[in-house]
Amino acid sequence: MLIRRRTLLAASAAATVASPAIAQNYPRRAVQLIVAFPPGGSTDVGARILAAMAEKDFGQPITVVNKAGAGGQIGFTEIARARPDGYTLGFLNLPGMNTITLDPERKAAFTIDSFIPIVNQVLDPGFIWVKGDSPYKTLADLVDAAKKNPGKISACTTGILSDDHLAILMVQEAAKCEFRIVHFDGGAQQLTGVLGGHVDVAFDNVGSVFKRVGTEIRGLAVTDTQRSKFLPQIATTPELGMPSVISNSTRGVGAPKGTPADICKIVETAFLKAINSAEMKEKMDAVGLALKPMVGAEYAKYYADLQAQAKKYTEWALKMR
Amino acid sequence: MESLGHLLSGFAAALSWYYLLYALAGCILGTLIGVLPGLGPAAGTAILIPLTFSLDPTGAIIMLSAIYYGAMYGGTITSVLINVPGEAASVITCIDGHQMARQGRAGSALGIAAIGSFVGGTLATVALVVVAMPLASLALKFGPAEFFALMVAGLCLVVGLAGKNIMAALLMTVIGLLLALIGLDPVRGAPRFTFGVEELFDGIGFVPVVMGLFGVAELLLAAETRQTHMIEAELKSWMPTRQECKDCVGAILRGTGVGFVLGLIPGVGAIVPTFMAYVLEKRVSKTPERFGKGAIEGVASAETANNAYANAAMVPLLALGIPSSPTIAVLMGAFIINGITPGPFLFTEQPTLVWTVIASFFVGNVLLLILNLPLVGLWAKLLKIPFSYMCAGVLIFCIIGAYGLKQTMFDVWVMLGFGIIGYLLRKLDFPIAPAILALILGPMMEKSLRTTLEISGGSFAIFLDRPVALVLLTIPLIVIGFLVFKPRSLAPLRESDVE
Repeated sequence: MLIRRRTLLAASAAATVASPAIAQNYPRRAVQLIVAFPPGGSTDVGARILAAMAEKDFGQPITVVNKAGAGGQIGFTEIARARPDGYTLGFLNLPGMNTITLDPERKAAFTIDSFIPIVNQVLDPGFIWVKGDSPYKTLADLVDAAKKNPGKISACTTGILSDDHLAILMVQEAAKCEFRIVHFDGGAQQLTGVLGGHVDVAFDNVGSVFKRVGTEIRGLAVTDTQRSKFLPQIATTPELGMPSVISNSTRGVGAPKGTPADICKIVETAFLKAINSAEMKEKMDAVGLALKPMVGAEYAKYYADLQAQAKKYTEWALKMR
Repeated sequence: MESLGHLLSGFAAALSWYYLLYALAGCILGTLIGVLPGLGPAAGTAILIPLTFSLDPTGAIIMLSAIYYGAMYGGTITSVLINVPGEAASVITCIDGHQMARQGRAGSALGIAAIGSFVGGTLATVALVVVAMPLASLALKFGPAEFFALMVAGLCLVVGLAGKNIMAALLMTVIGLLLALIGLDPVRGAPRFTFGVEELFDGIGFVPVVMGLFGVAELLLAAETRQTHMIEAELKSWMPTRQECKDCVGAILRGTGVGFVLGLIPGVGAIVPTFMAYVLEKRVSKTPERFGKGAIEGVASAETANNAYANAAMVPLLALGIPSSPTIAVLMGAFIINGITPGPFLFTEQPTLVWTVIASFFVGNVLLLILNLPLVGLWAKLLKIPFSYMCAGVLIFCIIGAYGLKQTMFDVWVMLGFGIIGYLLRKLDFPIAPAILALILGPMMEKSLRTTLEISGGSFAIFLDRPVALVLLTIPLIVIGFLVFKPRSLAPLRESDVE
């Protein structure tokens, strides 16, 4: 994995030597930022805030283009196939993107190496919650119930092989229990499904519901190594004795393979400055999205590690089909 | 009473000149978005979000809401004039609206649409003020099972009222459902019927299909005859007559009811209320045979339901923070970006903002009426453009619309292909609307059925446990039973035709 990445970087470096003029003039016109999810969703909201702020330093407009559909597959394909000249960038949603490439049935036209990860923006930890008046007061209550009634307690995701689905599989593996898995299309459906009493528990992310915790909904656990700053009162899965249950959703900006390295550097500099700004923090805090700036080797390592982790659970999920 | 006081102070704020200006700008921009096919309310609103970044939160929300309403109305104009629905909710308006235009009654159709939209929108906002909170929590009880049953009931009613063409309507519904199966499996993500064509992974786009079946087919039919104008009939009316308005009172009130109730249920989408209202209107009409041939009640009911729905859909958003349609989801994103979190606490934490926004809904509806009634004549005049120019213009308009959707030529080919199919179907006298409705509802129907079965662990008995779902599913059975045994009482209905 890592070796292939190095070859890729070397190849793109070589491309730069051949055409130094490209990067010198970059950016000369508007840049497209492809979002593989519909307008109004968490990815879109974060992307629009980022685009509006980064274009100040960037010197050219950054246009968010929504290419939604097929769980992001349509948009990711579009990014992978774009001309690698720096004028098409895209949001990389992990681990959703990983699982698409790992599921042979999806016949994805791209692999994880079709993209150059440039700069990460958001890390939204997984969050397990139930309705405010649910009989399950703690994660232990829920797991016990699932053990006593295998396959009877319904747990919903935001889509098959989404980070939420992987989180359910991780809890099942850690606690040796079995849920009845219900796949919804997104956070809004999860909310109606659980608050309406149609499903027992939601595997979700902090950002979409954190403002409702305490009244309408009861938080059971955050699936991260540290507590969320938006929900400091909710214990993490490692604290609750499930250190192997770590699941979150990250979103960052990437470019199609072959984009010259110095163009990627220009993008990295402008976007990173925006992500680190106070205004960005303020806007993202309001939305409940935690910033997690990662660039260079750190982001590349995260990207590769996640692929390995997603592989295990995807294969497991496919076996259960 | 407390809400009334809040509302009055809301009005005071919403009527200040700069908020009025935002609302007006929003209405105009929205109407433009609605007129352009392909650029639906959701995409249009999303594109315009950055425009509101520099405004204060209240102003931003007022403007975006106005864009949303404006877009819902704008789609009507193209439906009536050139049989191209600008957005999904205007599909039903095409059926009678365009027929009216062909009879020279384009002014009446557009006028009644503006009036109906105003009444529907305003009454729904009144209802929003009065009953928002209790009704919103009730709507949560509407789960995937009820949702599926509602879709089945809706489709069956459309087929059932197709009259003498019942078999053709049934066939077209099945074709629509089959087309809806193309694309990635909504649960497992595996491609179905895509033959390796990547553009098909996302399914057959509904907008290019509709523009093809309605718009392009219309052009082909018109090109057959040597005519000098798109519509030969003399423009007989600029405004609905007193009699026409009187005929529509019932339709408008029923449309408001249907639109409001369905707007409360998250996920129904804008098109279901329009065709439910239309079917209802045809059912209660003493002369159902006029429907599909330019019945003004048909236009009034669909357009009223459309706007009542648009306003009612604000209830789950404001009261629960649940977006009930893609456009509302975009609006919610805009709320959040502007630092406002919709939900149960919004009314207690930011009462000034909420009530100003609600008051601005009233203002927006009035502005749309003032804006559109005088413009009706101008729009209708477009029909005076010579056919050769109009034809080329409409075709370019459709191609840009189809291309603009996802910026791919594939959708343009889909549109042209369905244009030819639509032309043949019209020649063979097959109804088109059932196929379109099935294509739109198919994915939602499939997804809700599969979610229901996931919840029940695969058992269909879940439908027996849920009274609302059971009732909604028995309606289609009754309809089908009637059709099989053809009792005499239904005889007049069989003469009529949805298409």
